[in-house]
Amino acid sequence: MSQLGRILMAEDDPKDVELTLTALQEYNLANEVVVTRDGEEALDYLYCRGNFTTRTNDNPAVLLLDLKMPKVDGLEVLQQIKSDEKLRMIPVVVLTSSREERDMVASYRLGVNAYVVKPVDFHEFVNAIKELGVFWAVINEAPPGSMRRSS
Amino acid sequence: MSKAESSSRGVRSVVLRYGLAVVSVAIALGLALLAQFETIHKLEFPLFLMAVAITVWYAGGVPGVLAVGLSGLSFNYFFTEPRYTLYIEPADRPLFVAFLLFALMIAWFGSRRRRIEQELRQARDELETEVAERTQQASLLNLTNDTIFVRDMSDVITYWNRGAQELYGWRAEEAIGKRAHLLLQTVFPIPVDEIHGALLRAGRWEGELEKTRADGTQVVIAGRWSLQRDAQERPVAILETNNDITERKRTERQIRDLNADLEKRTTQLQATNKELEAFAYSVSHDLRAPLRHMVGYTELLQRNATSILDEKNRRYTVMILESAKRMGDLIDDLLAFSRIGRAEARETVVSLEQLVKEALHEVRPETNGRNIAWTIGALPDVSGDRSMLRLALVNLISNAIKFTRTRGQAAIEIGSTTRGDETIVFIKDNGVGFDMRYVNKLFGVFQRLHQAEAFEGTGIGLATVQRIISRHGGRVWAEGLVGEGASFYFAVPKSGRTGS
Repeated sequence: MSQLGRILMAEDDPKDVELTLTALQEYNLANEVVVTRDGEEALDYLYCRGNFTTRTNDNPAVLLLDLKMPKVDGLEVLQQIKSDEKLRMIPVVVLTSSREERDMVASYRLGVNAYVVKPVDFHEFVNAIKELGVFWAVINEAPPGSMRRSS
Repeated sequence: MSKAESSSRGVRSVVLRYGLAVVSVAIALGLALLAQFETIHKLEFPLFLMAVAITVWYAGGVPGVLAVGLSGLSFNYFFTEPRYTLYIEPADRPLFVAFLLFALMIAWFGSRRRRIEQELRQARDELETEVAERTQQASLLNLTNDTIFVRDMSDVITYWNRGAQELYGWRAEEAIGKRAHLLLQTVFPIPVDEIHGALLRAGRWEGELEKTRADGTQVVIAGRWSLQRDAQERPVAILETNNDITERKRTERQIRDLNADLEKRTTQLQATNKELEAFAYSVSHDLRAPLRHMVGYTELLQRNATSILDEKNRRYTVMILESAKRMGDLIDDLLAFSRIGRAEARETVVSLEQLVKEALHEVRPETNGRNIAWTIGALPDVSGDRSMLRLALVNLISNAIKFTRTRGQAAIEIGSTTRGDETIVFIKDNGVGFDMRYVNKLFGVFQRLHQAEAFEGTGIGLATVQRIISRHGGRVWAEGLVGEGASFYFAVPKSGRTGS
């Protein structure tokens, strides 16, 4: 764990944010998470605009994307990313409450890298988040141009 | 006429016909000689002419000529001077020539008359044959149930069969001679001139027409017109066949109306379905999130505050978690239940045997530490949606496992029977059973017949089974006795019929 990629999270619900961060904290992954509160902000981050004009121009190692968000929703963000030459390599994991088949189909059709339904059970939830964080931010070799930081 | 006919038949043979010539001349000669003996003179002349006339009349021209010859010879031999020679005095020659000419004229007229009579007879026979044929045709046309009538080119009805009488209400003698379109008040779909144009070009025309019956009611008919031409290719008559399609038209209109109605309802249903889907979607997203938070924070509380919470308060947190968990299960089951109603059924031939195997595999974790005697009978193939039928079997088998939990030796039997065009599948257990008084509540959503402490569950399993089977055009039912076990049945049509 010498190097950690940055995790970008797009989640509008503060409680979900807190619980996710808590879960990641247990595995010392919380520091590397950037939280955006809707789709627009997530895109601002990716395009280094709005509040993120000053950040370095690297892509996150993974994007944890909620689907139901105000303004720009998750599927729209996903579509934007996968149709942009510069962003399409970012691994995107949809992390949602919905088990609806049409969401799943739409996400995979747009080229999502993983689709995870948030478990109601907290232990399962923590495990899911932990595994996601560890896999995408540590085990997976992030595509070139992704941010890498020493812990 | 009949006498002449029988006579002509009587003298048909050659011998008879020439014999008649000889005999009639001989009789005439005999009578003339007798008259002469009685000193009645000049009777031979008309007598021989009569013999010639009778011969010609009854035996024809050639025997007539023979009669003329014989009469001439007899006349010459017996009655002209010098008698009993064939010599004729110059003074008698004109009389003899006049006799021969007169006799020949009679023979000629007679034979002509005979020929004309024969021709007439032949024509009459032909006519009779034709009449017989036509009568037979007409009576054959009368046999059909189709409405058939013939009208000439000025639209006057000349033939009207029994079918026409039955359809329109006029008898043949009432209809024949009337103008068809006036009598029937025909309403043409296109100008009648165009129809006639097409009829003259193609020789036939087909189309739907409206006509009025004798009782004033209107009928819609499918009409076929065929043009009849004479030997010179001139159109002479139109044969019209009519079939009453009023009822068919009415049914068609009814079907159209019903279809329109159905379309409207389908649209409404689609709108409702869409709303339902939006609702389910929203439930799926929004109802689960707060639940997750409740569980998450309670767990965090449990973890962080174990030291300060006493036994009672720790139990409270457990209760909160249990309730949240239960609500999560309820939401999941409810969503799964609503999905069955919304999902499209994909009908294939499904092996129930294979499906039961899969279902047993799926419920295996529930049988851990249990002693269950399984009896699996022969199971046929049915037609239906594989994943739905599988879910129904999983639910039923899972139920049987659950409600035999209190038995030291549980027995579960799965089998099938066939009744008419239905395949009936049953799952019998020796579990706790149920009271038949509440059988009608068994398949309702959220209906439970056992206390939550005794048997866990959301009360959606059997409702799901019922919904799945009813989507297959089948039915479900159950039999049970408290403490004696329960039997669940579902019947699905062999041919398969899943609604979409």
